[in-house]
Amino acid sequence: MKTDLSPRMTVALYGLMCVLLIPFVFPTWWMVTSSVKPISDIFAFPPDLWPRRFDFSTYAQVFELQPFARQYWNSAYIAAVVTAGTMAVSSMAGYAFARIRFPFSNAIFMVVLLGLLIPSEVTIVPLFQMFLKWGMINTHWPLILVPIFGAPSVFATFVMRQFFIALPVELEEAARVDGLGRFKIFWTIALPLARPALGAVAIFTFLHSWNLYLEPIVFLSSTQMFTLPQALTQFTDAYGGAMWNIQLAAATMTAIPVLLVFIVAQKQFVEGLAHTGLKG
Amino acid sequence: MAPVTLKAVAKSYGSTQVLHGIDIAIADGEFVVLVGPSGCGKSTLLRMIAGLETVTGGAIEIGGRVVNDLEPKDRDIAMVFQNYALYPHMTVATNMGFSLEHRGASKAEIAERVRWAAGILGLTHLLERYPKQLSGGQRQRVAMGRAIVRNPQVFLFDEPLSNLDAKLRVVMRGEIKGLHQRLGVTTVYVTHDQVEAMTMADRIVVMNGGRVEQIGAPLELYDRPANLFVAGFIGSPAMNIIGGTITEGGFEAAGITLPLPAGVTARGRASYGIRPEHLAMAGDGLAATVTLVEPMGSETQVSMTLGEEAIVGVFRERLSARPGETIRVRPDPAAIHLFDAESGARIG
Repeated sequence: MKTDLSPRMTVALYGLMCVLLIPFVFPTWWMVTSSVKPISDIFAFPPDLWPRRFDFSTYAQVFELQPFARQYWNSAYIAAVVTAGTMAVSSMAGYAFARIRFPFSNAIFMVVLLGLLIPSEVTIVPLFQMFLKWGMINTHWPLILVPIFGAPSVFATFVMRQFFIALPVELEEAARVDGLGRFKIFWTIALPLARPALGAVAIFTFLHSWNLYLEPIVFLSSTQMFTLPQALTQFTDAYGGAMWNIQLAAATMTAIPVLLVFIVAQKQFVEGLAHTGLKG
Repeated sequence: MAPVTLKAVAKSYGSTQVLHGIDIAIADGEFVVLVGPSGCGKSTLLRMIAGLETVTGGAIEIGGRVVNDLEPKDRDIAMVFQNYALYPHMTVATNMGFSLEHRGASKAEIAERVRWAAGILGLTHLLERYPKQLSGGQRQRVAMGRAIVRNPQVFLFDEPLSNLDAKLRVVMRGEIKGLHQRLGVTTVYVTHDQVEAMTMADRIVVMNGGRVEQIGAPLELYDRPANLFVAGFIGSPAMNIIGGTITEGGFEAAGITLPLPAGVTARGRASYGIRPEHLAMAGDGLAATVTLVEPMGSETQVSMTLGEEAIVGVFRERLSARPGETIRVRPDPAAIHLFDAESGARIG
């Protein structure tokens, strides 16, 4: 809906939006600028919005204090595998729940959805016991398997199901008449059309995996295996105090992929959720 | 091309029976239209022929082979859907060649068949476009192109013109009929529009409540409807139906006596049917009070009250009568239909 506003009203509206922007932009601004400030300048009063001195050595120190490149790789490949796995599982499960008639399908879907109601803190101890038994502690398997088959995938399945339900059933019937079987219909008709929903699933799954904190600190114990959120907590001095500028340099590098994902794919993300009927 | 035979075909969903033993024999190359009101089971029957619905009872034969348990792809049929069901992510050419691709045809063969179909339907310049870039009529043509490209034995159309505007519907009606005349493929066409049925069909199957009311050529149904339902359904405006009694002196209805055709021997309660165009203005006719005059240019449609019955007449002449005025009309005795009051079956 387009509304014509008077110039004065427009200025007032933009002013209000600028004020509202501050709580969202300030933490990022503070993180990035503090990462290149000497530690003594970070807590100077009054605070400097623009660094008086630039100290980029903090970025080098991040890699000296931790195997940060390795940890970066750990986070990246785990997020990539989890994203691909979740897209595969959720698209197939969502399609099955939306399109294939089988006994108790709705009841089973409800049971699956119940998984969303259980906080991950509740299941973390039994999961630890299970992976310990399987010899997978201090490996990346729990960080891959739990999201793909756990609550994040349930949400993704829900999103995909909603999308597939909205897809005209005649398309599949036309494909049946054209000679396709169930899997080919899924693969050549339903899945290509589900790209907006799949995009949304990919984005939030990637971000969820990238930001995962509780599971890594429970399942991983060696710094070589750490993922980024866990590694960020390790930039401390001998007394356990935070090395603020180095930690914020590491945090800045950690946030870059997330920002990139949002900048590149925000349209896809919004469209995908709109297609699934999840918009507010 | 192949004949299609339905033998006592039945369909039920749980305890609800929607088709009650349908028997239809469709000849090779025939254009048959299934017509009836919403919920009469015509689309369900078409989908059963296509293999998109299971058959609860009876047998469906295509080309002499029972296909009840065959997948749609194994029935050698092609279907055009109401909403066209074009694959949005594929170009027109890919949409049309898709079925051939999945049947193992070579690229050269697919390209040739698609070119042939596109040529027939005037789609050659649109082959690289996507469905969203096409108008309603063009989409409809692509849907037909997808159907004809692999030369099936039977075409199935499920209300294919419902989404088009009135003008385009008339154009596409002609194109579908022309396509059938050119290709000669057995065609089963579902519509709720009796004008479509009348203008396109070799034979019409009128359905109601999961049963066949009558099968026949369009004019046969129009001239000799087998029962009250067909009489009321076929023809626009609908046939006037008046309840009353057949007596020696004529047909006694509330407040009037209507003439009967010669040779009527039946007596007692009945329904009297007369089509609007079979009423003529006549000075010695029955007095009717005009309630509404609708000039159409080529004819004039007049709603009126005859005795206590509301009826409609269509006259070639232009009338100056106004609502409330009295005109005199006379039914053509040769065009009177009589139906049994209880069963609704034709008795004369």
